[in-house]
Amino acid sequence: MLAATIIAACSNNPYPDADQDAKVLYTSFREAPRTLDPAVAYTSTAHHITANVFDTALEYHFRKRPYELIPGLVESVPSPEVREDGRIAYRFTLREGIRFHADACFVRYHGQDQRTRAVQASDFAFALMRLADPAVNSPIRSSLFAVNDFKSFGDRLVSMRMQDKSFAGLPVHEQYEMAGGIDGVLVHGTGTFEIALDQPDAQILYWFALPFTTPTAWEAVAYYDGNEGRERFADHPVGTGPFRLAAYDKQYRFVLAANEDWYGLKSAAPGSIFPSEGEAHDIASGVIDAASVGKPLPFLKRVEFRRERESIPRFNKFLQGYYDAGDIVKESFDSVVQNDRLSPEMADLGMKLEKAAEPTVYYIGFNMDDPVVGRAGGDRSRKLRQAMSLAIDAERYLKLFTNGRGVPAQSVLPPGLFGHDAGYRNPYRQPDLERAAALLVEAGYANGIDAESGAPLKLTFDTGNTTSQAKLQYQFHINAWRKLGLDVQLAVTNYNQFQAKVRRGAYQIFTWGWIADYPDPENFLFLLESSKARSESEGPNTANFKNAAYDRLFRDMEDMPNTEERRRLIVQMLEILERERPWIELYFRENYSLSHAWLRNTKPFGLTYPTYKYVDIDPVKRADLRRGWNAPVTWPLYALALLVIVLVAPGFATFYRERQ
Amino acid sequence: MVAYLVRRLAYGFLTVLGVLLLLFVLFFTVTEPEDIARKALGERVPPEAIAQWIVNHGYDKPAVLNTEHAVTDVKRYSDTLLFEHYRRMLTFDFGRSDADDAPISGRLLAGIGPSLGLTVPLFTLGLLVGLALALFVAFFRETYIDRSVLVLCMLAMSVAALLYIIGGQYLVGLLLKWFPISGYDPDPSVVARFLALPVLIGVLTGFGGDVRFYRTIFLEETGRDYVRTARAKGAGDMRVMVRHVLRNALIPVLTNIVMAIPFLFTGVLLLESFFGIPGLGAVTVEAIQGNDFSTLRTMVYIGALLFITGQILTDVSYTLADPRIRLK
Repeated sequence: MLAATIIAACSNNPYPDADQDAKVLYTSFREAPRTLDPAVAYTSTAHHITANVFDTALEYHFRKRPYELIPGLVESVPSPEVREDGRIAYRFTLREGIRFHADACFVRYHGQDQRTRAVQASDFAFALMRLADPAVNSPIRSSLFAVNDFKSFGDRLVSMRMQDKSFAGLPVHEQYEMAGGIDGVLVHGTGTFEIALDQPDAQILYWFALPFTTPTAWEAVAYYDGNEGRERFADHPVGTGPFRLAAYDKQYRFVLAANEDWYGLKSAAPGSIFPSEGEAHDIASGVIDAASVGKPLPFLKRVEFRRERESIPRFNKFLQGYYDAGDIVKESFDSVVQNDRLSPEMADLGMKLEKAAEPTVYYIGFNMDDPVVGRAGGDRSRKLRQAMSLAIDAERYLKLFTNGRGVPAQSVLPPGLFGHDAGYRNPYRQPDLERAAALLVEAGYANGIDAESGAPLKLTFDTGNTTSQAKLQYQFHINAWRKLGLDVQLAVTNYNQFQAKVRRGAYQIFTWGWIADYPDPENFLFLLESSKARSESEGPNTANFKNAAYDRLFRDMEDMPNTEERRRLIVQMLEILERERPWIELYFRENYSLSHAWLRNTKPFGLTYPTYKYVDIDPVKRADLRRGWNAPVTWPLYALALLVIVLVAPGFATFYRERQ
Repeated sequence: MVAYLVRRLAYGFLTVLGVLLLLFVLFFTVTEPEDIARKALGERVPPEAIAQWIVNHGYDKPAVLNTEHAVTDVKRYSDTLLFEHYRRMLTFDFGRSDADDAPISGRLLAGIGPSLGLTVPLFTLGLLVGLALALFVAFFRETYIDRSVLVLCMLAMSVAALLYIIGGQYLVGLLLKWFPISGYDPDPSVVARFLALPVLIGVLTGFGGDVRFYRTIFLEETGRDYVRTARAKGAGDMRVMVRHVLRNALIPVLTNIVMAIPFLFTGVLLLESFFGIPGLGAVTVEAIQGNDFSTLRTMVYIGALLFITGQILTDVSYTLADPRIRLK
């Protein structure tokens, strides 16, 4: 009886019943982000929060592809203007009525009855000064060096802090003021600011569509210093966005709640109304709900993130309807996707599957500073790299390790970016062992034996990933090279030691990946530009590739608009990479995401950050389907009780009979 | 009794000092602070930030002897990692996490609730089930009921805890849909749902050993003269088993129980980790996975403290259970 009562009260619903009819989106996270400081946060988990808590001056159009910038917090997307001093400048004019989320930090500096304040142009300037401050340690600091005085402002701060301890103890906004600010960031009154560049930088506007440059309240940075029981700014974001962070417990739960004071609710900014223009097929294919068009944003009241450390329970809860969308776990891939389409069972549940190639590239790199595989080996090393490139079959790799989720890469430029040519076939990326063996003979490494010394050529594949899955993946490449007679040894160390090896230049072959910051070919091609070489500038050119012709073409291409001339330059750059082979391009990641029938506007975000303001749900449909899917099965409990009685009762009877 | 307690506490304190020394050797000699800093700060970090992190976390001091200070200066010994380690641990000033700079004491406080929420029902239910079942089979000793329960116990003990967890999540959470597969929410309307399955699994994993242990003790008692006397005087089965056998068998049972009580606070590593319950067990697992040495040191230290407390409590509980025992 007791058990039956308990079971009757049981439910596998992990959420309070009160929320079942509310527009609450449920999603999950694996690890809490290290920081939510908009100047520093650079991981996808962090962006799920920062992209919604912080508004940006510019945004990407939700429905248009290729990506298009639209005004966000500012009135219009600025155009470059040439100033009197010859510098190129961009002028941003703020919208009216933008206010920070209500927060205790404002009370601390402005008095009991002021829990928020209006955003001013100086808040953008403060954010930019934080990006320039080396102590903040922003990953994009060097990307903004084109801004006049940006780098020297940072240097100035460092030397002032070194010379004067009392200066270093001041709140940062006071330090920035005393250091004179950044000359290239000019604030005109409360509503306008201007960015002046030392050299043209066509990509600079993209940074204003990322949370890095969000207006930042000095009060929040000063107040949330981690002392006297206060949180750190890294854990307590104060923004202006359509959502505010209502709960943040890194162990199990984050909550984004709709911001009732959001500027978009009072203005007709393009980012505050669901767009009517865009790709025509997105409504037809069901990723956009026609009924949403023209409606004010956001639709959701709350976004709940629950912690799921393991992928299988997370996926199972998605199948039970307790997460609204989900990635497909490897173990269940074949039961969910069949012939590259949703399986009939899943389609019957009303699920949708969306596939989108992401602006990413994964590759095997050669350390070009290495005497054997690098540039010092001249033609010999080049042929060795070409042969090794011909041995790697990316398609098979994807089938084996990612369930085929990915597009084999022919060049460094992923689909969807200007300069990507879908018809292009890289002659060194078509697996061909015969041609590879012939190239090895030409290189003087026939069958992996160095013709000069007569000794076998020994190469090392360096990695900082110690998981068994990763080792299997590396072994795939090594086995491919072994077919050519090449002896490549896997050198596995922990990540720190691997980092140290990379810093010392003591590595030969490695794998790495890149996720674009913004939709421009420059953001991929710069990965092989010589000034970004890891060995010299700690830059992202981990192959240490240095080629004068490539650099020249890069400089000509980087600030050009997307014209045929630019395309021609990109083709030439790709030709150099095709021949030189500093990388063996492996694949562009493809995201397969599942969503339930009640989720609307699931168009993949791709490069833009996940902005929940466009997402909508039908909570009534959700509650209905969930109920149907999750009725508890109680008969085994009764069966078990019966079994126990049947087994024990004769024993009782016998025992007492014998005692009589 | 008081003299005994004082002596035990003094021994306990010495043990703590020894544990701390061992911790120091283990934690401060095996890793370079730079490695911890890189792990905490990430890949794209300039050397200055690493250096600053090392200073902020106090890893820049020499290990045992600070030769920067004069021989007569106390600071020669006190301005060192070793001294700082002892001072922090003994004053319960645990500092900040190596992984994310959050105050460790805050995390401990936040973790105690969920841990106790899981361990108290688990412990109580496990004890009740274990004792009841052991009394039951001791009563029916040498019948098929006794033997089947013993076989069941052996089976229960032979299966790995991990299998119970994964199997339980699959069977109860996914197929039968009685409780959520995993997760946690302190909201009073749902918290019991989250704890039910881990408690059930915890009881299942533990009952085999407990039942066999308690049964042996009870059997030893049921053979004694006083039991026969009680029966002869007309005492009923229930009264014999509960009032006489159970009571006289309490000493070994108490040892088992009281030793376990302090560890209720530290949570259950596997259950918390797999069910996503944000207790202290999960904190420990995460500290291990995330190279969070300062948190891990704290957890090991607290574990040692609780173990010592448990031993002292056990001794004291003997006198309460059996008036014949005097602690001197």
